[in-house]
Formats: sequence, structure tokens, C-alpha cells
Amino acid sequence: MSRLWPWLCAASVALSLLMLAALLTLLLTRGLGHFWPATLESVTLDSGEIIAGEAVRETPLPHRDGEEQLYFTGNRDLDGNRWRWVAIDHIAERGAPRTLVRLERSPWGDFIGYLSAFESASERLEGDAAWHALTAALAHPTRERPSATLVLQSAAGEMLRQPLNEIYRAHRPNAMSWWEKTRYWSQGVWQFLSEGPRAANTGGGVWPAIFGTVLMVMVMSVIVMPFGVLAAIYLNEIAHQGRLTRLVRIGVRNLAGVPSIVYGVFGLGVFVYGIGSSLDAWFFSDSLPSPTFGTGGLLWASLTLALLTLPVVIVATEEGLARIPDAQREGAVALGATRLEMLTRVVLPMAAPAMLTAVILAVARAAGEVAPLMLVGVAKLAPQMPVDDEFPYLHVERKFMHLGYHLFDTAFHGEDMQTAIPLVYATALLLVVIVLVLNLTAIFLRHHLRHQRGQSC
Amino acid sequence: MTPPSRPTYSALTSSTDPGRQRLDRLATASITVGAFAVLAAILAIGIFLLWESLPLLSLAGTFTLETLSPLAWGTLKAALAAMLLALPIALGAAIYTALYMPPRLRSRVKPVLEMMEAIPGVVVGFIAGLILAPWVERHLASTLVLLVWLPLSTLLAGVLWHSARQSLRKRLPFSWAGLWLTPWLIAMTFIALWATPGVEHVLIGGDLRQWLDQQLGVNYATRNAMIVGMAMGFAVIPSIFALAEDALADVPTSLLEGAQALGATRWQALWKVALPAAGPGIFSAVMIGAGRAVGETMIVLMASGNTAIFSTSPFEGMRSIAAAIAIELPESTPDSSTYHVLIFAALVLFLFTFLVNTLAEVVRLRLRTRLSRMGDRG
Repeated sequence: MSRLWPWLCAASVALSLLMLAALLTLLLTRGLGHFWPATLESVTLDSGEIIAGEAVRETPLPHRDGEEQLYFTGNRDLDGNRWRWVAIDHIAERGAPRTLVRLERSPWGDFIGYLSAFESASERLEGDAAWHALTAALAHPTRERPSATLVLQSAAGEMLRQPLNEIYRAHRPNAMSWWEKTRYWSQGVWQFLSEGPRAANTGGGVWPAIFGTVLMVMVMSVIVMPFGVLAAIYLNEIAHQGRLTRLVRIGVRNLAGVPSIVYGVFGLGVFVYGIGSSLDAWFFSDSLPSPTFGTGGLLWASLTLALLTLPVVIVATEEGLARIPDAQREGAVALGATRLEMLTRVVLPMAAPAMLTAVILAVARAAGEVAPLMLVGVAKLAPQMPVDDEFPYLHVERKFMHLGYHLFDTAFHGEDMQTAIPLVYATALLLVVIVLVLNLTAIFLRHHLRHQRGQSC
Repeated sequence: MTPPSRPTYSALTSSTDPGRQRLDRLATASITVGAFAVLAAILAIGIFLLWESLPLLSLAGTFTLETLSPLAWGTLKAALAAMLLALPIALGAAIYTALYMPPRLRSRVKPVLEMMEAIPGVVVGFIAGLILAPWVERHLASTLVLLVWLPLSTLLAGVLWHSARQSLRKRLPFSWAGLWLTPWLIAMTFIALWATPGVEHVLIGGDLRQWLDQQLGVNYATRNAMIVGMAMGFAVIPSIFALAEDALADVPTSLLEGAQALGATRWQALWKVALPAAGPGIFSAVMIGAGRAVGETMIVLMASGNTAIFSTSPFEGMRSIAAAIAIELPESTPDSSTYHVLIFAALVLFLFTFLVNTLAEVVRLRLRTRLSRMGDRG
């Protein structure tokens, strides 16, 4: 038996690697696959009914043998549903006609069906000419599009008149070549990154959330770096290395293990209710009772996360400082430098990569943190961006959107979860990619640093 | 970790320029002030939580107890479920990585596993709550079978390997098993997924979940302790693994070589020498993992169903302290009794994790000096 125990240990490594790979693969395929134009099917049922939509998944029927297929059919304005379950053995005929069109629209979500006519003020086009007119019109930026109406026909035969200005994109996936699909896919990814959410987070992109996350992390870095570096310099260069310093060091390290929600509670109680309310009472009393600083906002969120990442910065900077050989300091002092000169001319330049590592690690930690933000200022849909052209340009009291919270909110509080999930996958992928890239950079820097110094210290 | 004490450089400075001296003193003072501001901020967290919990003393004590006890139970249950899954995997992986893997492979695999820690909790929670939970609900039997079948199939792989020809064993060395076992595990997973529904049908005539409900009266919630355990286990594995692996790798090789020279097998040397020597380090790794599991908010919030109930069933949900704070605190008005109770809950979390981490850190530092002394002697 004792020969077999090590196998369980080996399997633990294999299983951990497998779980990580499975998670990343799932995120990659679902997150990126969502933007790929899927084939649209036209399905004739036994009953004679015809539906058109994208086949999503197959599952066993709940009450009898056989499988059923879930179709995304869109057209919520016509029948009130976006999804349709169909038992496979009730399908008489499946086809993929090249003329099936998928339109991305604003109020009602996607339309799937046929384009019968394109009506502008001067003319009425039908068939392929209508499609060419539509793609030509959509190629213009939204504001310069001619006013026109589309006459649409659903697979079941219902007619619908659709104003052109409510349409974002249109495609006929069954008629697209690989090259066109790839182009369409990259356009989709770009829109996801650069546009705001629409239709209750079931469509559009995450640009405000990316912007909010980046801005919050930047404000946080500006706050946390000076204090973290000062504390690290004090602990490593100035303080007497006695019992007290050791205790402080242990305390700082342990703060990294304190749950992030505790920091959130502190931020809410002290920054928002304490400092924020006082600021309101002193400077913004004319706008009370609606709070200015006395509610969650960008500044309070950044301060809270700065506190949260303080231990990360201190530990990483101190590690870098401790690696600098004492000979360097002694040399500087021997040449007549004061301690300040030794620090600024010799020690800090040598510790620069360590400080860079520290800020990257802090940013990586903060970018993925959601729990404290729920208490101190994140919003599901911020009406105004925290940066605009109004004086003072950066509005630190405003609420902001955050990628992690956007993910949580869309996934758990959305009205139509089924439709939102592909976008949640994409958001999750984006968040993981950001955090992993930051961490990889930090690991690489640290590795590089160790090799550069070699064994000399 | 503690750098050796060094002389205070300002005492050595030979410069006599008063301007530079003054600037130097000013800088030292401001650095000290900055450092003490940091310390003050850290202390302020504890003081604030204590101060805001004080009004609870004037309230009737039972109110606090009644609100908090299901939450405390939920927290413990979630942490326990996570540790049950994470401990064997993390420690096994640490033992294998530290003692069996060739150094080059180890230097690649370790950062990859530590990378798991960077994956945000909200992503893990989303996968667990919206993807894994419905899947497990539909394939409950397969999931439970997998939990048993994967370890068993590994042992099977071991038996097959030991009875295989020498040439094959050379081509698939045990020291690389951590990598080449992954396809084996994938294959075994598919076999289990393929075979279980049939066996389930024959044995209990249908779906295990319905059978549990009808025959045993066991209630199955979609988001339950088992799901939380899997998700949070995934999140806790890397922190336990990293620290335990460090502790095991710090055990001087001379100790292991000595034991093997005296006739112990590799596993005996590990079990009787390396594990006791690294014991405190492993203990502190487990403590830190437990601290993380207790405080994790988003995963429990998203994967547990958030029902504040007392239940020991692994198939029912719970609500943890951290999740309760995240949900209820933004909605409670300051100075209401709920507000103070929640702040008290945060204080409990803070004290618990702080104590656990301090203990772990002290133990770890002690061990490190002890082991380095051992290594010097050897």
C-alpha cells in the first residue's frame, strides 16, 4: 500500500492543474465563442409551426425518453419569449436558409427572421437589394444614418415594421464566409470592450466598467504607494530591529489575511458615514439631505482598497529592500552621504523593480476584489462617468461601475439570466485575463530581479 | 525573514554640512510619521469595530445571539466543506511537488498552481453558482461517484504502472506523473460520467436526487454546502499548497537522505522524518487556509443560496457572516441595532482571522529558524 500513497499525491497535482485548465478553457471558449456568428436554423415542427433560431444546447427530456433542444429565437416583441424548448422527435425538418437575418436592436433584443423590404423616404427595395441597402446604411455612424423602416417577417410569417435607428448590427450568418465571420467576431469583441451596456445588461459592452475599474485602481495606487513605501523604508532601514519591529512586521503581514469584507465595513463606517457625512455637513449643506460625500463613491472605494492593499505593498517593497546588500549602503555612507542621500541615490533606485512589483500586485489584488466595493460605492449602472468635461473633471464623489461587480450583478440580479450569461462569461474572461496578466508581470519582474542580483545577497 | 540588525547609518555620517543634516533629519522624521500613520490606520480598524460594537452591550444579549448564531454556523459549515476538499488535494500536491518532482518541473508547476490564487472570487462564485450548481443538480449521482472514483482510479493507475514493463516505466517516470496523470484523470472522468446514469437507473430506478427526496426525505437545494465546498476548496487550495510546499522544501535534504541511508523507503522517510519536521509549517498553512475560507465573501454569496438555517446536510444552503455583511449592511441605517450587530460580526471575523494568522506566522517563523539550524549542522 505504501507504494501507492505517492500516487494520490501525484494525482492531487494533476487534479489541481486539470481544474485550473478546465476553468480557463470554459471561460475562453464561452467568453470568446459568444461573439462568433452562430448558424441560424429554421425548424419545422410536426404541428406545422415554423420557428427560427440559434440552437443552444440539448438536454434529456424531463418526463419521458428522448432529447430536447433549446433554441434562442429572439423576437420578444412578437411572442414575449426569447427562448424555446423543442423536443427533438417533434422536429419534422431542419434547415439553414441563407437569407435568415439576425438583427441586434435596442428595445426588444435580437430579431431573427427574414428581411422582406427596406423602405426609405424615396424608394422601397426588396430581396437582396434590401439587404445591401441595410448593410450600406449600417456602415454609417449612428447619427448619420438615413431614416428608414425595415419590413421584417418572422419565421412563423408575422410581419413587423422596424425603424432603422433602433438597429445596431445585422448579419446573415448562414451566408457568411469564414473570413466574414472572423471580421464580424472581432467587431463584436471590440464593441464589447468599447461600448456601454444596454437592454438591462443583456447586450452591449462593458466599457464603463473597465473605465471605472481602471480609474479606481489608479486613484488607489496613488494613495497606497507613498504610504506603503514609507512604511517599508521605516521598517527596513530606520527602525531598530527589535522585538517591536518584528511584531509590527507580523501584524502587517497578517492584515493581508483579514477578510476583505472587514475593510469594506471599515470603509463604510469611517469613510462614508464618518468623514463623508461630516464633509457634507460642512461644505455641501445646501444639497442635503441628498448626500454628496456621505454615500459610497470613487474616493471612498479607492481609500478602502488602498488600506486593503497596504500590506501587499509593504511586504513586497520590504522584500526588495532586504535584498539590497548592506555593502551598497555602507559604501554610500562611507563616501559621505547622509541617510537621505543614501536612500534616494542608492537604495531606492535599486529597489525600483521591487516597488513596481508591489504596485502591480496591489493592482491585481484590487482589480479582482468585489466584496468591499459593494459597501463603499460601486453602482450597477452609473448614470455619469467619474471623469467628464465639467470642472473639476475628476469627480471622486460619484459612484462608478466595476467589472467584478458588473459580473455579479448581471449574473444574479438580471431580469433575463439566460440571455445575459454569455456576456457574463465574456466579462469573467476579461477580469481573469487582466488579473492574470498583472500577476504574470509581477512574477516575471520578481524572477528577473532575483536573477539579476544572483547569489550575491 | 528578519534582516540582521545593522548599525544606524546616521551615526556614522561624517558630513558636517548643517543643511544636509537638517534635511536628513527632516526626511527621517517624515518617514517615521508616514510609517506611524500606517500603523495608526491599521489600529484604527480594530478600534472602530470595537467602538461601534459597544452599543450592543446596552441591547438585550439574546438579539445578537439569535441573529448571529445561524450565520456563525453557516460560516463554519462552509469553511469545513471547503477544507474537506482542499486539505487532501493541497497537501498531497505539496508533498508531491516538494519531494518527488524534478527541480526544473517544480519551478514551472509551482507558479502555475499559485496562479490559481489570483483568480478573483467573483469569477469562481459565478462558475460555481450558475454553471456548476445546476450541472451537479442534474448529475448528482455522477458527481458523488466522481468524488470516490477519481482517487480509486489513481490507485488503479499506480497498480498498473508497478506491474508494467520496465521500458514503459522509463518512458513515463513517476516524477512526471503529476503531468501525465491529467489525461488519465480526464479519461476516468468520462468513464464515470458515461457509466453512472445506467448504474443509477438499475440500482435505484431513476434519478438519485428524486430518490433521496422520496425515499430518505433529504431536501436538495441547488446551491448547497457541497457546491460551496468545491468552489471555495478550489480557491483555498493554492494558499495551503504554497505554504505547505515551502515548509516541506525547507526540510534539509540531509535529513531525508539520512533516513533513506538507514533503510527507510522514500515514503517512510517522508512520513516519519519530513512531515514531523515540517509539521508546524503545514499547520500554519492549514490555519491560513482556514482563515481565508472563513472570510471569503463572494464565493459563499454566489454559491450558497444564502438561507440562514441550521442544517448539517451537505445538500442544503447556508448564509455566512461575510455574506450577511455584504448583503445587509448597505441596507441597514447607521445606528440601528442591525448595523451594530453586523459590525460586531465583522469584529468577530477580524479578530478570528487576525489571531489565526498571527499564530500561523509565529509558528512558521520559529520553524524556519529551527530548520535552517538543522540544515547548517547537517
